Amino acid sequence: MLQVRNGEVETLGVLFDRYQAPLFNFYAKMTQDRTVSEDLVQEVFLRILRYRQTYRPGTNFRTWMYQIARNSRIDQVRKVRPESPFTSEPLAPTTFADSAQQIQEAALLQTALMHLPEDKREILILSRFQELKYDEIALLLGCEVGAVKVRVHRALQQLREIFLQLESGPRPIDSRRAPADSATPTSPAPTSPTQTRRLQ
Amino acid sequence: MNCEQIAELLPDYLQSGLAREQASQVEQHCEHCANCAQDVAMWKKLALLPPDQPSPDSRARFDAMLHAYSPASSERSIEVSTGPSRQAFSPKIATPNVSDSSERVARWSFFAWLRSPLGAVAWSAALLIFGIFIGTRVKEASPAHPDEIAAMHAELTNMRQLVALSMLQQQSASERLQGVSWSGREAHLDPQIQSALLRTLRYDGSVDVRLAALDALSRHASQPQVRKGIGDALQEQQSPLVQVALIDQLAEWRDPDATQRLRNFQQTPNLNPAVRQRAEWAISKLQ
Repeated sequence: MLQVRNGEVETLGVLFDRYQAPLFNFYAKMTQDRTVSEDLVQEVFLRILRYRQTYRPGTNFRTWMYQIARNSRIDQVRKVRPESPFTSEPLAPTTFADSAQQIQEAALLQTALMHLPEDKREILILSRFQELKYDEIALLLGCEVGAVKVRVHRALQQLREIFLQLESGPRPIDSRRAPADSATPTSPAPTSPTQTRRLQ
Repeated sequence: MNCEQIAELLPDYLQSGLAREQASQVEQHCEHCANCAQDVAMWKKLALLPPDQPSPDSRARFDAMLHAYSPASSERSIEVSTGPSRQAFSPKIATPNVSDSSERVARWSFFAWLRSPLGAVAWSAALLIFGIFIGTRVKEASPAHPDEIAAMHAELTNMRQLVALSMLQQQSASERLQGVSWSGREAHLDPQIQSALLRTLRYDGSVDVRLAALDALSRHASQPQVRKGIGDALQEQQSPLVQVALIDQLAEWRDPDATQRLRNFQQTPNLNPAVRQRAEWAISKLQ
């Protein structure tokens, strides 16, 4: 990053190769939208280029990058909100799981994650999927490490509650499906309107 | 250890940040406490969601962006930032996109030149020349036809006379007044209008209209018929106002037979004393 800062912008490619996948993963988990996520990744690297002079040597690049990533996301939400009903190319749940039950659980998990409030979803994704240490997250969010731990734990507990509600709640479409059919879902597990209302 | 103590350790346990001893304490607790165990299980279950991979053309988009971004030109960076759609960064379109932007810059500089003082002088001169050219062409295209214009003028005069005559027949005094003023506009008095005005002067019910008719006729003193008509009108007038106006008009014209007319008029019985006095004054003036 120091090289980039000193004008060797071509070396940003190395950083892009290293961080584009985790960054994309972060956005994809946050938004469930591939197109938006890819645009946001590009936006982050454009901002890195533009604001490269603000990077202070000796600071953690990853934290700085996530700081930019969070700001880009906030700006994007502000920009998109008026037309939010139109979401393009929703993310199909991809999973390592091979059994039908695990696939179903993964879909349910994704839905539960989207039902979490934005800040809780974010802290959970940062700590669980982005593998950011609690002190890094504390730096990013501007709070104490202890507070981060408490928030991660609470977010996890709320996710568990939502997941259990989704799991035990009536799912007429899923229950009528044959197991072989539900093994290849193309969209997150549908929830009944009553469930959605309860979760909100 | 109770759940509260475990809760403090749990986040670090989840990230494998605990020493072996503390980790085993958490594990032991979870064997008996379903609640804490479920938290751990939930954390582990999140592994079912694998990392999402960006599409292969992502790197190409980045390269296009890096190529378009030049530290020297801030304009370009703005252009890149305003076009975040993925198509704009796809490798196939990237090259034309850049050439398009340079074309835009060229067009921009042309307009900038137009805005400069020299440019302004140049295009105002061009506009002037164009205007003169158009003006001469239009003049050539429609040469004046004097005959046509004269015919149109005659037609217009006719029309005006018709309107004036019809207005003199109106019920409303104000419309008749307007008719009188219309008919008096012409430099040459048409015989038809002249007789209509004389008739109005004699028989119109309104004093104002009669006065206006006299005023209109007074401008055509050169016509003997008008002079005669006005002299005749004096005998038939009842209104002192019109009588005085007629006497004044006759005195002004200094007609040779006006004195005789005024003397006859003076003999009229029941004449208003002021009118009689005026007639005397006019006779004395004429002599």
